[in-house]
Amino acid sequence: MYETFAHTADVGLRVKAPDLNTLFADAGQGFFTLIVSNLSDVELRSRVEFHIAGRDLAYLLADWLNELLFVFESRRLLLREFEVTVDPDGLKAVARGETVDEGRHVLDHEVKAVTYHGLRVEQLNGDWLAEVIVDI
Amino acid sequence: MVAERYDGPLERVTPYCWRIPKSYKTGMRVDGLIFADERLIALIREDPALEQVANVAFLPGIQRASLAMPDIHWGYGFPIGGVCATDPAQGGVISPGGVGYDINCGVRLMRSNLFQKDVEPNLETLIHEMFQKIPTGVGRGGIYHFSHSELHGLMESGPAALQERGLAVERDVQFTEAHGRLDGAKPDYVSGRALDRGYDQCGSLGAGNHFMELQVVERICDEQAARLMGLQLDMVCVMIHSGSRGLGYQVCDDALRSLRHAPEEYGIELPDRQLVCAPVDSPSGERYLGAMRAAANFAWCNRQLLMWQAREVFQAVFGRSWEDLGLQLVYDVAHNIAKLEEHVIEGQKKHVWVHRKGATRAFPPHHPEVPTEYASIGQPVLIPGDMGRASWVLVGQPTSMEQSFGSACHGAGRLLSRHAAVRRAQGRRIDQELREQGIIACSRSWKGLAEEQPEAYKDVDVVVDVVDKAGLAKKVARLRPIGVIKG
Repeated sequence: MYETFAHTADVGLRVKAPDLNTLFADAGQGFFTLIVSNLSDVELRSRVEFHIAGRDLAYLLADWLNELLFVFESRRLLLREFEVTVDPDGLKAVARGETVDEGRHVLDHEVKAVTYHGLRVEQLNGDWLAEVIVDI
Repeated sequence: MVAERYDGPLERVTPYCWRIPKSYKTGMRVDGLIFADERLIALIREDPALEQVANVAFLPGIQRASLAMPDIHWGYGFPIGGVCATDPAQGGVISPGGVGYDINCGVRLMRSNLFQKDVEPNLETLIHEMFQKIPTGVGRGGIYHFSHSELHGLMESGPAALQERGLAVERDVQFTEAHGRLDGAKPDYVSGRALDRGYDQCGSLGAGNHFMELQVVERICDEQAARLMGLQLDMVCVMIHSGSRGLGYQVCDDALRSLRHAPEEYGIELPDRQLVCAPVDSPSGERYLGAMRAAANFAWCNRQLLMWQAREVFQAVFGRSWEDLGLQLVYDVAHNIAKLEEHVIEGQKKHVWVHRKGATRAFPPHHPEVPTEYASIGQPVLIPGDMGRASWVLVGQPTSMEQSFGSACHGAGRLLSRHAAVRRAQGRRIDQELREQGIIACSRSWKGLAEEQPEAYKDVDVVVDVVDKAGLAKKVARLRPIGVIKG
């Protein structure tokens, strides 16, 4: 589950999930809802694999979202579905989506970067919570 | 994270200057000083910006104070509207967050020989041609293609490198801050990823708060300065706001990543990890500076190409050359940058690294970096407001050097979060509302326009008033928008 939260100049993304795999998958999806207005209109025509090393969960989250940003910018790919496996050394993921079709996709925000301000990944009452601020 | 109101100490020093004493938090090396009046300080308290001013005061080598301009608002690490100077001789650091992701985001203003009455009959056509021809929008690239070595040339030399391609003239370069070139740029330090993100984006506007605006000079406050800049009442001008695009964003991100553990390595204690930094004279510091300067030079090329494309649109619509139309650059300023500058601190001349994060250089009359034509009036300071109200042209004042390291504000400053702005815009057509005010707005995204609506920003007149009364920069002219294109 994800939602955005207010930040004066930028946008915050807050994600809650029962486990880390779902947390990172939902964070990916939440991230793309910042870019495209109608994520549900993104079809599943392309597949991308990710392998990201990192032992600090907060930095891993930032690195994960920054990889997604790079894929969007360099390949104009919008990704909607995510399968993520987080382990002590990093994460592996498969994501599906399609390239931007300006006739069908409305792009809302140009994301400059995923910032480290207020970045957190922690457990609260058994659930996982992540927060990150994205520079628009 | 909650946008917490600032409830720490705040002392009024003058009607336009407030202090956060360094006793507020253990670790603050200097006070915080905020340029604002009573109205603005009440708004400024409502988000964590002032806490960030206090945090910046932790930086090693910081001189005089952690400064904030009247348009300050919550950023990441540094507040937007923050200024600080660090002395390398005192272990001073360079902090990428003090420059921002959009390295050398800035503004340029072009004047013309056209007046509102000349443009009115063609205004719709002009705006729509601009929207068609000038690349805007999320992740959209430009129309110019540069080889790898040409790209290196742009990063090394700035817009001077575009002269060979016939995309800049000498005067354009002369009337750009730093002549569009920071010395010591190292294009080789710019990562492959940064090049992948930005190689085709030179000459594109981007999205968010970037824009190209047609404006009319509606008030002149300083006749002599306006005359020297070639500005007259009712004159049509073009203002451009954009930066280093994906290339710059990635250079900053790369630096923040590589400097993650630098504070621990150098024994620097920071209250916020986004303030990551390294001593200027360290290998990490040098590496960032080389890449940052390359990105800054790229940004100046970006604004040069945007201006060039605007000239071409005017040529096509009016059937005359841009030279004949008088489409000359008034000035170009950076408002996200770090520069090595000479300042007098406690009676001594020192070279310090001035970080301006959402703040504009405002050098006084006769400063060697001010173009000769403007020597008697000072450096033009260009302050874009929101798309519904106004923008301002000012000139730097002598007292800016001793108060703010020759710095002024950069805009109106956001008032509403993007969320709040979109909520307020529900059911509304912002473009139609602007049209009713005589402003034609073209944007690629309803949400983008909603987030950037006039109500989302503080009143630029109030912000500029403080800058003027505090002696940082003096008002020259107020410009009113008549058309805007956005991504």
